[in-house]
Amino acid sequence: MMDIDGYNLRLYVAGQTPKSIAAIANLKKICEKHLPGRYEIEVVDLIKDPAQARRHQIVAIPTLIRQLPEPLKRIIGDLSNVEKVLVGLDIRPN
Amino acid sequence: MPEFELTSARPPLFHDADETVRAIHHGHVDAVVVIKDQEVPQVILLQGADEPYRILVEHMSEGALTCGTDGVILYVNDRAAQLTGYPAEHLVGRVIATLFEGSGPPLGVDVSLEARLWRPDNTSLPVKVRTRSISIDDSATTTLVTLTDLSIHRRAEQIAIAERFARSVLEQATEAIVVLGSEGHITHASALAEELAVQPPVGCTFSEAFPLEAQGAGQAGMLACFSAENLDRLLAAKPFHGVEVKLRSERLAKRSFLLSAGPLVDDTKACIGSIVTLTDITERKHAEEQQAMLVAELNHRVKNILAIVRSVANQTARSSASLDSFTTAFSGRLQALALAQDILTQTRWIGAGLKELLTAVLAPYRFADTRLLTLHGPAILLPASAVVPLSMAFHELTTNAVKYGALSQEDGRIDIAWRLTDADQMVELIWRERGGPKVELGNSAGWGTQLIKRVIAYDLDGVSEFDFDPLGLRCTLRFRVQDAPGSDVTSSASATQ
Repeated sequence: MMDIDGYNLRLYVAGQTPKSIAAIANLKKICEKHLPGRYEIEVVDLIKDPAQARRHQIVAIPTLIRQLPEPLKRIIGDLSNVEKVLVGLDIRPN
Repeated sequence: MPEFELTSARPPLFHDADETVRAIHHGHVDAVVVIKDQEVPQVILLQGADEPYRILVEHMSEGALTCGTDGVILYVNDRAAQLTGYPAEHLVGRVIATLFEGSGPPLGVDVSLEARLWRPDNTSLPVKVRTRSISIDDSATTTLVTLTDLSIHRRAEQIAIAERFARSVLEQATEAIVVLGSEGHITHASALAEELAVQPPVGCTFSEAFPLEAQGAGQAGMLACFSAENLDRLLAAKPFHGVEVKLRSERLAKRSFLLSAGPLVDDTKACIGSIVTLTDITERKHAEEQQAMLVAELNHRVKNILAIVRSVANQTARSSASLDSFTTAFSGRLQALALAQDILTQTRWIGAGLKELLTAVLAPYRFADTRLLTLHGPAILLPASAVVPLSMAFHELTTNAVKYGALSQEDGRIDIAWRLTDADQMVELIWRERGGPKVELGNSAGWGTQLIKRVIAYDLDGVSEFDFDPLGLRCTLRFRVQDAPGSDVTSSASATQ
């Protein structure tokens, strides 16, 4: 069960394209550093299950969706710019 | 750049749309999704040249993983997920080392090694691990890991070893063993089974290779009610143990076998055939029959011996003046009986040599000069039936010599000579004493003399003559050493008195 102030993140990737791989690695690092124990990541491979793209209207890959806390936020790209990710997803460092 | 359509999809918020366009423009994405109404969204990779490799990795029969420098798994293909036993989404984000027994493969270097993957049920799977380090986008280094399932190879090796083992067992087996397939045909046969079969057994049904005699051995009747076809079906389906059979074959007509059958099962315990053994029990049966006969014979002999003992006791009591003389005479006679039994036991009731019997009876009486005892005659093997009566007779003669004859004097001597007569059917033995005190006729009245006459006449179909020459006793025994046809050797030491 997610903590009340936890982050539920969903990362849409396309198989192992370089940016998909980079996005997973970067997101993991950012969360471990800034949200230790307060996050949950779900990686969705749209190559395997393209229908999942409808749920969040994904048009570019990789795309990260912050499902919780609300409101829903998204950031597109390989998440290599940490500052942009923190700001874009409104993550307040501990 | 491939074409894609944004207009048909429900647009994200304006800010998001702007962000999307900017990301694409700046090359921050490497795939786009085209969503049309009612259709499955289509993912288009912007690096089209990678597509064949992507498909290759997605579908290859080896497991493939990608992980970052910190060991976190970034991607797994279907096969890798299958090998670990976890769904792909459970593996992405985990540290690769946690998938393996021990420390897992080293990262950042190119290696090839064997390791074991943990499975959800706490078992482990042997795999070949190959790692290769590559750079992505100049900034990040990832490690590509491929996994090859070695359990299939190991299984194949185990099967080969098991096959060699089974073949070796079949070749070395001292029983005839055949393996029947599920169709009832012989697929393997031991060397002995090949010898017993009436035709090369592999490929035949059991009853074709080993036709059973309907009549004969004890329990064969039980199988006789089955036709050859039904017997084959029975062997393939029903385990049974130790049914005695005979094979319908001239060269094996005198041999008996135990037929047993048991199921042959595979890894899932499903029956895939049966294993049938034929154990040659001819020798065992023969030994059992021999044993039964010996027990019966022993019983018979014990009864005979007891009857003899009773008779000797009665006769000795009648002819003894005192208890002391009874004790001496009776124990001497019992000793003679025991001696005969010992000799028969040693020779397994085959019989005893005449000279050996005389030597054994006379052994307790030391002759200072060996020339004072002479034994002369051809080698004769006495039948078992003659050993007890002759032992008794020789004992009586010896006792008489000790009491009244040659053996009562220092330089008394005994000469014993024998020969075969009547076409080797009879023996004539002469016991002559010299050097003893003067013989008086009165000595002949003892029961010893009567006993000799009696056993020679009744037990050995012979006669005995006593010549009480004053210079020394001369006793002539004529007795049969060949059993009359049809006579019962075992009942010879009868106590008919």
